[in-house]
Amino acid sequence: MAADGGQDLITLTVDKLSADRVSESVTCPSCGAVSLFIGTTRDHFEGKKVIRLEYEAYSPMAESELRKICSEVRTKWPSVRHINIQHRLGVVPVTEASVIIGISSPHRKDSLEAVKYCIDTLKATVPIWKKEIYESGEPCWKENKECLWGDTGKDPKQS
Amino acid sequence: MNTEQVSVLYFAKSAELTGLKAENITVPSNISSLRLWQHLETRHPRLSVLRDQVVLAVRQEYVPLGEQPLTLRDGDEVAVIPPLSGG
Repeated sequence: MAADGGQDLITLTVDKLSADRVSESVTCPSCGAVSLFIGTTRDHFEGKKVIRLEYEAYSPMAESELRKICSEVRTKWPSVRHINIQHRLGVVPVTEASVIIGISSPHRKDSLEAVKYCIDTLKATVPIWKKEIYESGEPCWKENKECLWGDTGKDPKQS
Repeated sequence: MNTEQVSVLYFAKSAELTGLKAENITVPSNISSLRLWQHLETRHPRLSVLRDQVVLAVRQEYVPLGEQPLTLRDGDEVAVIPPLSGG
């Protein structure tokens, strides 16, 4: 938590995420900007129809890595007021949100940059995994190109 | 040589390959992360497909596979971390 009362909210949940709730949770009277990122689940991969996605996490470590990201955001953008990062786990039907990040700041530049930093860093460092289940064929564990020890950084088709 | 009992957690593809979510194993306390990984591969040969794209987490901090000794303590949690795909 920031010294001046800014809140770091972190949630891992099997429940459906709500952009409205995240937005409301970071709104504050001194802030002229709330920036939101909503990551949703796609319905296709390389021509295969995706039926659903399943997420799992190393939850205590995922929460600890998310807290590190919040702390880095506050160092890089000290004007940031509230941060809320929610990640869904378990089965996520296609088109529903798997991750929502909301950040408020007095002016838009800081919260916009901070939201981008949050999602890019989350993909590289937070221990969460996604499996795609297709209409036909074997399910597939995905790899983020941002993950330094995966090998899909070499494969521009995946993300 | 001192040995410690540690709890190994398997996630994502590593859980499917081993058929396990977790197990307790006994290892030397000053084992390197690379030797620990090789020990896990010996127990579960199917893990070898992950060899070049895996890191461990020890007490919930990432440790790449390498020669540095880990200084494990009894009851420590070690996790097998395949490439991440959150977000």
